[in-house]
Amino acid sequence: MAGLHHDHGVRFGLPDLRERLLGPLRAHRFGHGEFEATGGSDAEADVLAAIRERAGEVHERLVHDHEVFAVEFVGSTGGGKTKLIEELLERAPADERVGAVVGDVAGEDDATRLREYGIPVENINTGKECHLDPDGVDSALSAFDLDALDTLYVENVGNMVCPADFPLGTSLRVLVVSTTEGGDVVGKHPLLVQAADAAIVNKIDLAEAVGTDLDRVRGDIHEVAPEIPVFETNARAGTGVDALAAFLDARRESHTGHTHQ
Amino acid sequence: MHEISIAKGILSRALDAASEHGADRIDALTIEIGRATHVNPEQMVFCLEAIADSTPAAEAKIRTETIQPRAECDCGWEGAPESLDLPGGFAPDIRCPDCGQRADLVQGRECRLASIEIPDVSHDDKPPARRADEVRGSPS
Repeated sequence: MAGLHHDHGVRFGLPDLRERLLGPLRAHRFGHGEFEATGGSDAEADVLAAIRERAGEVHERLVHDHEVFAVEFVGSTGGGKTKLIEELLERAPADERVGAVVGDVAGEDDATRLREYGIPVENINTGKECHLDPDGVDSALSAFDLDALDTLYVENVGNMVCPADFPLGTSLRVLVVSTTEGGDVVGKHPLLVQAADAAIVNKIDLAEAVGTDLDRVRGDIHEVAPEIPVFETNARAGTGVDALAAFLDARRESHTGHTHQ
Repeated sequence: MHEISIAKGILSRALDAASEHGADRIDALTIEIGRATHVNPEQMVFCLEAIADSTPAAEAKIRTETIQPRAECDCGWEGAPESLDLPGGFAPDIRCPDCGQRADLVQGRECRLASIEIPDVSHDDKPPARRADEVRGSPS
């Protein structure tokens, strides 16, 4: 196997890592030194930074140019993301113009459900990819008249791993975990929890039946991602959704300056 | 998982860099992978080897290095975050050890092409420091 994985500072046997990074080797290194020196950005050598930069461009287009309040829902398959969006649509004021982008590896089930609400929905089938990426969202946006949208819900592919490395450029990223995923769901996916702006613990009515300790879930979120607000919902019955809707409205105001009563 | 799409980005940057330096072959490349990502180094190497086939990087030796996280807090603290010590997986503790607020990760989320090794190429317009033989002594 040609690939070797090493931690820093051992491969060349040099006594000082800085010497290796900043010494004569620098001319052939691509990244900080060379790109900054030529006025380029870090993203030219860093693929993940390039993705974050693309997400920033989507954010600029969506949130700043067109003043759309965009909320991503991310979490496992079957956690209740679509149901939560449906509950928010139920509560949306009549004059709120909402659209949705829905990502799934295959199928149109979620898109079909949301279209029942009479809103424009763009379905993205990712095929071999396990997550939405900023380019995919950007392409999907061309299907909308963004000036005629107040709110865009973006439902990511059900996956708690890859989306952590792929921000989409929305105003907010909301993580949905459900009690049926187990009390240890947060500790198993810490990087995604840290990449979220808010967390929803759904299916709280089932916690006892499936033996999930809600206190542990709450405590783990606080430990992994301090300060993110946590909402507890039973989306099927609508429990807790009002608090979530109020939170989103408050964040909408701070993002776009617009309010909906 | 998503290593294949990231690998495509890395390979394209490596091929561009080789071409800029007038090289028609890449002997080795090094990728820096942040510890606070879900990029798996072994899968990354596997994907790169697969897609580099029939490109100038087909025979390249691929190395990966782990970049440890660094964090900064609004209170002025800056340093290496502790691990949350979750069994089996790494995640940084992003609570500031000084003030308890959430700190920002400023390093550890990258997947970067750090360097390439190319055969010795002599160009009059290249400064001596760019010569590959001074870098790694790789044979032409």
